[in-house]
Amino acid sequence: MRLTFRHRQEPLVLDVYPEAGKYRVVADGCDHIAEAHYLDDATLLLVVDGHPYRVAITRQGKGRTVAVGGEVYPFTPESASAARHVAALAPPEIVAPMPGKVVQVLVKPGDQVESGDGLLILEAMKMENRLVAEAVATVTEVRVSEGDMVEGGQVLIVLRYHEESSS
Amino acid sequence: MFSRVLIANRGEIAVRLIRACHELGARAIAVYSEADAAAPHVLLADEAVCVGPAASAQSYLDSERIVEAACRLGAEAVHPGYGFLAENAAFARAVSDAGLTFIGPQAEAIAAMGDKVAARQRVVAAGVPVVPAVENVRDPAELTRHVQRIGYPLLIKAAAGGGGKGMRIVRAERELENAFAAAGREAQSAFGDGRLFVERYLDRPRHVEVQVLADQHGDILHLGERECSIQRRHQKILEETPSPALTPELRDQMTSAALAAARSVNYSNAGTVEFLLDQDGRFYFLEMNTRLQVEHPITELVSGVDLVHAQLRIAAGERLWLRQQDVAPRGHAIECRVYAEDPAQQFLPSPGTIEYLREPQGPGVRVDSGIMPGFTVPLHYDPLLAKVSVWAETREDARRRMVGALRDYVVLGCITSIPFLVDVLEHPAFVAGDTHTHFIDEHFPTWHGKEQHRLIAAIAAAIDSTRPGRHSASPGQPAAVASPWTSLGHWRLGQG
Repeated sequence: MRLTFRHRQEPLVLDVYPEAGKYRVVADGCDHIAEAHYLDDATLLLVVDGHPYRVAITRQGKGRTVAVGGEVYPFTPESASAARHVAALAPPEIVAPMPGKVVQVLVKPGDQVESGDGLLILEAMKMENRLVAEAVATVTEVRVSEGDMVEGGQVLIVLRYHEESSS
Repeated sequence: MFSRVLIANRGEIAVRLIRACHELGARAIAVYSEADAAAPHVLLADEAVCVGPAASAQSYLDSERIVEAACRLGAEAVHPGYGFLAENAAFARAVSDAGLTFIGPQAEAIAAMGDKVAARQRVVAAGVPVVPAVENVRDPAELTRHVQRIGYPLLIKAAAGGGGKGMRIVRAERELENAFAAAGREAQSAFGDGRLFVERYLDRPRHVEVQVLADQHGDILHLGERECSIQRRHQKILEETPSPALTPELRDQMTSAALAAARSVNYSNAGTVEFLLDQDGRFYFLEMNTRLQVEHPITELVSGVDLVHAQLRIAAGERLWLRQQDVAPRGHAIECRVYAEDPAQQFLPSPGTIEYLREPQGPGVRVDSGIMPGFTVPLHYDPLLAKVSVWAETREDARRRMVGALRDYVVLGCITSIPFLVDVLEHPAFVAGDTHTHFIDEHFPTWHGKEQHRLIAAIAAAIDSTRPGRHSASPGQPAAVASPWTSLGHWRLGQG
């Protein structure tokens, strides 16, 4: 399920896939495993990639205000068309979000990928980050191999998005 | 001791005062405006009376209605809290004239310290240092005669007005003549009055104040100092005790000066003498606050003296039950003021309805709160929601404890200063105790949240949105879930 929000002028697209009592969440091109345990209607214990967070949440229609770690985040609803625009703007170059080590390359040039499909697994700060495609695309280049150490911002994979993803 | 006390205030301080009344066996009568009908202080009080509409001029500042309510409801004493009528000598007099006890100093002491010029003259006569200054200077030749006494750097100000017009900082003699002429011209054109006021300019001073406690029988003591240098718009937002800047010698000098200032107006009850402390360890009287201070909890935490109990007992005529040598402050305490304001928008007030509230807990953590879930923070009053105070053995322990408490504090419904306070506490200059009244202007000219948890928050919002029936603004039924402790299994804390 695709959820679209706006946070401080920035659109935000998340894809949530329930999987075996947990959620696989794709956000900012990375893929995360989350468990959500509601302590009461507005308080939840959220475990993301093995780290627990105590989260408070209030609801404003389709908007949400979330408090975690002493910070408060207002998320206002964003229209699906604006969200599609974000997907259309998704950069064709998949870059490392932080320095790390390539654990696994999941695609090869010529592969067709769907939105949310895994491309590569990068280990950074002792966590595995799964980089995913944000829209339907064809893999045109894979510039790294398993075991490579990469810098933050380094281009790892290049995609060509298909026309229909921008409609 | 009194059996019925009227609390002429609202918010967290009214809650604090009502609790103290109950602890001493007195019934507490609250007053409230129409905007505060469902406020926490009203719910906690034994009786409550509406004293007018939301506008404070017609409610919390209407001394006639408040005194009338106190008489009608049989109160024996009135506690003004801080702000509103707390330093209004006419109100103190009106309470006394109605045959009730004003819980605070005599009206004469309030009046004497309320007139800033007269207060300055009075404390100078008592030997208390003030910022060296000279008034109504007309020409530079006249000024040079005083410069020796005042000392550089100098601050030249228009005698007739404020707002920075005609203001010049002079750091050396060669700048004096030009600065003087320019300031005089500016003052003349802005106020039609070229007279200037010159005082020593204090570069990055600290705000250090001394808590005094005096009974009505002539006994007086102090409870040490508080440093309140962290200010925005000249209002304190974080206070601590002891001050990281004070040596035992300096503390002796400042507390002695504070007692002298209080004695100069025959002070009784709790009061605070404020000083500026410069970087060379010289201190200067600023003013005396003839009331309970917002930041009184930190003094309570280190001294073990309950200041509100003390106020009530002193007002009831008790002699001081402590001697100066009995006062032995221990450890370190910090207070943070939680305001409904947006630190990313020049601290603009941000009123709203409290939709969710979780207050910090744990050893050494105290919360003085004036809000509760469902309460709408009115636009009409000071945006202070609550104060968090912590005590620990050392400054660093207290600092860390405060960071943890603030990170645990959740207020949803209005924007608060909580994340900004965390950043102040974690700033290397604060950690080093290098604080002064320009701290925020210097280190945080602008501020934006670090937003370290944006991803986690977004994931929470997304998952919450996928749950059926979660689109209403009003809180729904608590979801029936299994205990996470039985269903969660273990997670990998710290990613070993």
